[in-house]
Amino acid sequence: MRFSEAVKLRNVWVAYSGSDRPAMRNINLTVPLGKLLLITGPNGAGKTTLIETCLGLLKPYRGSAYLFGVDTRSWRIRYARRMCGFVPQDFMKPPFEAYTVRHVIRLGFAPYKSIFESLTEDEDKRIRWVSELLEIEDLLDRPIGTLSGGQQQRAVIARALVRKPKALFLDEPFSSLDKEGRRLVSSVVRDYVNTENASVVIVSHDVNPIIDYADIVVKMENGRIVSGEDYA
Amino acid sequence: MLEFLGLAISAAVLSGNLCGAIGFYVQRLKITTLSFSVAHAALAGASIGLILNIDPVYSAMITAVASALFLGIVFTRIEYGRELISMAVFSVSSAVAIFAIYLSNVRVLATVSIAVVLWGSLLAITVEKLILLLLILFIFVLYILAYRIQIDSMLYDVKMAEAEGVNVQMHMLIMLFFAGLIISSSLRLTGGFLVFTLLYNPVATSFQISRRAHMQLLASSILGAVSASSGLMVSYILDWPVGATIAIVSSIILLLAYTAKIIAEAVRRRCLSRPYRLG
Ligand SMILES: Nc1ncnc2c1ncn2[C@@H]1O[C@H](COP(=O)(O)OP(=O)(O)OP(=O)(O)O)[C@@H](O)[C@H]1O
Ligand SMILES: [Mg+2]
Repeated sequence: MRFSEAVKLRNVWVAYSGSDRPAMRNINLTVPLGKLLLITGPNGAGKTTLIETCLGLLKPYRGSAYLFGVDTRSWRIRYARRMCGFVPQDFMKPPFEAYTVRHVIRLGFAPYKSIFESLTEDEDKRIRWVSELLEIEDLLDRPIGTLSGGQQQRAVIARALVRKPKALFLDEPFSSLDKEGRRLVSSVVRDYVNTENASVVIVSHDVNPIIDYADIVVKMENGRIVSGEDYA
Repeated sequence: MLEFLGLAISAAVLSGNLCGAIGFYVQRLKITTLSFSVAHAALAGASIGLILNIDPVYSAMITAVASALFLGIVFTRIEYGRELISMAVFSVSSAVAIFAIYLSNVRVLATVSIAVVLWGSLLAITVEKLILLLLILFIFVLYILAYRIQIDSMLYDVKMAEAEGVNVQMHMLIMLFFAGLIISSSLRLTGGFLVFTLLYNPVATSFQISRRAHMQLLASSILGAVSASSGLMVSYILDWPVGATIAIVSSIILLLAYTAKIIAEAVRRRCLSRPYRLG
């Protein structure tokens, strides 16, 4: 399959059930291949809504959303999702969550498995690669609930990257990271875009330091895109 | 007589085991409300079986599976008012059940069939039903093993699993389908009103015992089997209604586990705070 863009939103309106006000209004956006797109804006601007609409977790009630050319309303959307990595905004697990970091990362391979299939050696290697990249080798066998917020966030980013996605969607990936962590993740993601020609969508209200690494910056406010519309 | 008791206990172990296991999945996947509606649909189906003079277990199976598939499919199609639809199925099912019991004449009330629907019966257990339970267990285990990584991913985080391309909707539907099968085939043991105790008490107890998903699953299925079989034996010895006795036994186990956990935590806190007092 060939695509010219990872995501395409056409006049998209999205509302949450029970809410009379649309959370996103008339959005047009294209995410080209091999680019790092940064979405910023204040709390409640609709950034999370946008990123979840790209993946088809939220469906537009007006307009259309396409992920790798697949309409997000189609049942085929799960095949498009298999080419994506996702870090949700609410990634934190409570202290009693006993899944180890290694296990959590491994679950990223779940959609590619046929019945009765186990982990392959190549996948094991990729887990090692990604944990070195994000400097979490020492945490691999710790239960994820016992880690700090920043450590958990690195683990979830590792899970997204281990899938070698063609598109990566990160919702506030810096929220729990310290300065070093932010630099590290920013440069890892930038390198990933360059080497794999992948698309990355990062949502972050705080633009430092990721803005130095971004190709496109889109600003949202009140459910609308207020600047960067030339990528519509 | 002994042979019959052996049959009943085997069925109790199987039913309890299945209910404990499906209760765990339903709880962790947050489709408890749905399973609640499915259980009531099973009750309605069993009652309809009384009027139509067919085996209530099979009529329960038909309505339970049908409602499971209906709810599962509706929930993937709509985003608004899901809880309401679930509650509507629950209310309609309860109403149908009461009506059917009312319509079936008094003579029926004394028979085994009505006991199955209302409070469970030892007499309703036959070799045929035991084989049915074994078959369901076999298919369920096969499904869990075949998709263990995908199911594991959903247990950890349903939203991430869906975003990554796991077929979450299909697995939810299959789980509900199994819930329907298991509930209706366990009805004859506990009766329609108490089948929930086997569905929810073992998993609640397992959450007190362990924090690991696999341990919880194991504990929940074992506790289900233990509650069902020991409840059955107590009911046989004291001549109590089976369903209610199982409910009481499993509730006592839950209470004990909860108390034990509170005591264990209090002791742990004491030990942790000691150095500060000394210092
Ligand atoms: N589950 C929900 N139900 C109803 N309304 C919601 C829900 N989630 C978000 N909203 C509304 O949608 C709008 C956009 O929310 P969204 O979460 O996309 O904002 P955001 O830009 O990600 O904010 P933040 O920076 O706080 O993460 C807000 O007005 C919010 O109130
Ligand atoms: Mg957000």
